[in-house]
Amino acid sequence: MIEITSSPIDHASVTERLRANHAGAVCTFLGTVRDLTGDRKTLALRYEAYPEMALKKLAELETEARKRWPIIELALVHRIGDLGPGEVSVVVAVSTPHRHEAFDACRWLIDTLKDVVPIWKRETWDDGKEEWVHPGLGDRRGGQTE
Amino acid sequence: MIAAVVPAAGRSQRMGRPKMLLPMGGQTLIGRVVTALREGGAEPVVVVAPPEDSDEGHAVAAAASIAGALIVIPRIRPKEMRHSIEIGIETLAGPTPPLHVLLAPGDAAGITRTVVIRLVEESARHPAAIIVPRRGPSRGHPVMLPWAIAAGVSSLPTGQGVNALLAGGTAPVIEVPVADSGIAEDIDTPEDYRRWQEQEPENVASTDRLEPGRAASFKPENRVQVPVMFFALARDRAGCTAIDLELAGGSRVRDLRAELARRLPGLAPLMQNVMIAVNEEYAGDEAYIMPGSRVAVIPPVSGGAGGRSPARWVELRTGGSDSP
Repeated sequence: MIEITSSPIDHASVTERLRANHAGAVCTFLGTVRDLTGDRKTLALRYEAYPEMALKKLAELETEARKRWPIIELALVHRIGDLGPGEVSVVVAVSTPHRHEAFDACRWLIDTLKDVVPIWKRETWDDGKEEWVHPGLGDRRGGQTE
Repeated sequence: MIAAVVPAAGRSQRMGRPKMLLPMGGQTLIGRVVTALREGGAEPVVVVAPPEDSDEGHAVAAAASIAGALIVIPRIRPKEMRHSIEIGIETLAGPTPPLHVLLAPGDAAGITRTVVIRLVEESARHPAAIIVPRRGPSRGHPVMLPWAIAAGVSSLPTGQGVNALLAGGTAPVIEVPVADSGIAEDIDTPEDYRRWQEQEPENVASTDRLEPGRAASFKPENRVQVPVMFFALARDRAGCTAIDLELAGGSRVRDLRAELARRLPGLAPLMQNVMIAVNEEYAGDEAYIMPGSRVAVIPPVSGGAGGRSPARWVELRTGGSDSP
């Protein structure tokens, strides 16, 4: 299952859906909103997607992962919109016959997802400043906007 | 199911420039042929594009892909059209091959939806026959082959082209009369192209109007206008979510970057650090911007801590070294 949603993600039911008789392992990764980055405090994160391309890229991730590992079921669900600390922003889950495949696939999926799927986040810090998080854009060029 | 195979890997030697990319009625020539086949009921339409390392390969593949074709890119340029056709047919083979295959050269500007529909109707009545349009004094394109005959193209004697099948020795050949515009339906030379533009402007302007008369004015597109979307920081810097950007025909992604930086100075400092997506796919600086392309400016995405980039992802997808 591949989804981009603006509603809270029911990660337990996503995981539950992946259980299968041929699966010896289900591995679920949850990305959650952290309230501290160094000594700066996050009040909220806003996630924004380029939905058409993000869905296409998620589907490509599924195809590629299925080529690499014997995946039985797979879920890639990303939330967009405003999230508070502790909330689930992304769920990556796979079921496979053996645990090492499930760990490997899950890790590859989340790492690659974060590199290639066009979804961005905007921090609202507790000092009132907001900025886009764009790795690789130094402070001089990118980052802080208001 | 009726599929189509479109050989489009030739060098365009007599045209002197990549003829598949000639503007025709708001599309490229290859796009127009693919569209006519699909609208006539062929699915999938397999386009055999020039090889990756050719100058025009990427642009031909992109133009055909925009029109909805499946693209096959041969490693080396097929020497003859027959070889391109064999490559295309091979991709259709499998547990459930199509019932029929339409063969349509990528430069056959005369192919229209109406002609394709006529052939499809005729193939339902004569499923074992080869069906070919008759256009005035000569036979035309596309040619409809039952799957068994298409699959046998690779066993034809060396030196024989697919035309050998039309002699009637393999299967009955049925001709379907179609409207004849009186001009060559293949575009091989600048003269052919000029005649399409000048003598029958409505042929160029519309896929489906073969009868002369109502003149739709046609001008070769030397400008293309594409929508450009902005996301995240790029949107803040651009000050808007999207613009329509006009570019010279034949522009590439790097030209688009330069034009965006010129139009939107606030965006300029970012331009070297963003990816450009064309039709929801990361595109390199050499990729062409085609009429109908959807462009998006993609700042680095939110994860990225691994230090990898979409360029890295392109490597992964094309069978790079990263194995589990």
